[in-house]
Amino acid sequence: MLKYKMYFKPKTLYQRLNSLFRSCHGESREKPSFDRIRFIQENTEISTNHMTPEIKLHLITPRCALWDSTADQCPVSDPFWAFYWPGGQVLTRYILDHGIVVKDKSVLDVGSGCGASAIAAAMTGARRVLANDIDPVAATAVKMNAKLNSVNLEISTDNLIGQRLHQWDVIFLGDMFYDEEFASTISDWLKTLRQSNSSCQILIGDPGRFSFEEHPAKSLLHKVAEYELDEVCRRENNGLTLGGVWSYDPSRTTK
Amino acid sequence: MANLRILVGVKRVIDYAVKIRVKPDNSGVVTDGVKHSMNPFCEIAMEEAVRLKEKKLAKEIIAVSCGPTQAQETIRTALAMGADRGIHVEVSGKDYENMTPLHVSKILAKLAQEQEANLVILGKQSIDGDNNQTGQMTAALLDWPQATFASEVTKENEHLKVVREIDGGLETVTVTLPAVITADLRLNEPRYATLPNIMKAKKKKIAKHKASDFGVDLGSSVEVVSVEDPPVRQAGQKVESTEELVAKLKESGVI
Repeated sequence: MLKYKMYFKPKTLYQRLNSLFRSCHGESREKPSFDRIRFIQENTEISTNHMTPEIKLHLITPRCALWDSTADQCPVSDPFWAFYWPGGQVLTRYILDHGIVVKDKSVLDVGSGCGASAIAAAMTGARRVLANDIDPVAATAVKMNAKLNSVNLEISTDNLIGQRLHQWDVIFLGDMFYDEEFASTISDWLKTLRQSNSSCQILIGDPGRFSFEEHPAKSLLHKVAEYELDEVCRRENNGLTLGGVWSYDPSRTTK
Repeated sequence: MANLRILVGVKRVIDYAVKIRVKPDNSGVVTDGVKHSMNPFCEIAMEEAVRLKEKKLAKEIIAVSCGPTQAQETIRTALAMGADRGIHVEVSGKDYENMTPLHVSKILAKLAQEQEANLVILGKQSIDGDNNQTGQMTAALLDWPQATFASEVTKENEHLKVVREIDGGLETVTVTLPAVITADLRLNEPRYATLPNIMKAKKKKIAKHKASDFGVDLGSSVEVVSVEDPPVRQAGQKVESTEELVAKLKESGVI
């Protein structure tokens, strides 16, 4: 069993936030010599069996050995990139169906996971796309997935959450409200983003998770689309049936 | 109706496949170092709740477990099966050994009210205590209708129609909501939690409480006097022919 953990002392507030972010996302327990490309090739299959069949993705599917493994048996600690999250699926579907939202725009996909939403943005004519995920294995997976779909993406593993960013026209948050504490960190950040760039459009995909539905920030969102999850997605996400795409729009509610 | 909030009780018990050993002092059974898992009837209760959510009859499932720290593993399993959040009522040491269905019922009844649940689904009994009391007492404490030993649950207008397994056949009842249902063996076949569900369940919230938070005194009026192994089966005899069998039976006075 591969076991490797990084420890670091949080000193500044930024580092503390960073450590919270990492603990939320889970550190990779891979060894430094770990061959990520080989791991992905050997443990996933290329799948179009999801709500955006236009996009090919390396995913752990029921045909892969790891599908039935326990969390302890999996050599990487949080292979969130290996599953196509329902919030990510509906957001990506929305982008493919409404390419105008990203056409000629600069797009940032935060917590990009497998990179599907970023790939969809690149496919529908975004000027510039950055896929951002702090998990280095996810970064490798995104690179491989981008290649599969013949698109060019910028990839970053920096923790951008909390930072003042003003260079993005559109920001994606696919299924990032899965953790209550993290949901609050993100909703605070949404305010900051809006202050840095008032014209920035923030799109959120979520399948009705408790930490999203009950979050106070939800009153600042409005639903732009809703999709029924397909059967494969429902099977991968016990109990979930619908996914919504939301736009962060504080001005709309105050009107 | 489509907005059911379901409270499901999940108990951590010695795994059904483990051979039970009685402690040498006859005070109970050996639990240290023994494999535990979710009580099979609780699994069935949990599965039924997820199916109601998948039919869009429920909006939220809360999994509750009363027990030591390890009860959280059982709650995690419920979260992977499709519960939205968990509540762990920590009861350990002597308190846990003395805990009876009445204590659990009082906690569940209080929780059902606090959480504004309109349906409580429990297993008909646990495979360790075999008491078959918790569901009935919870319903009594809440003054809610109960449908025990359910083998089928369907929605009928604003009621739930429940088919019950009774001696000699089946009984169909309808209950108004809120209600308590206990699951029998044939209600459904519970799903296994696969890696994607386990991974996504990792970040679901488990709230921690003590029994005293619900004003429940864990003092017990029941004392276990002795726990003993069932009598060892007497060795049998092999016979060569039916004639010999009949002769032996006659000899022993059975026929």
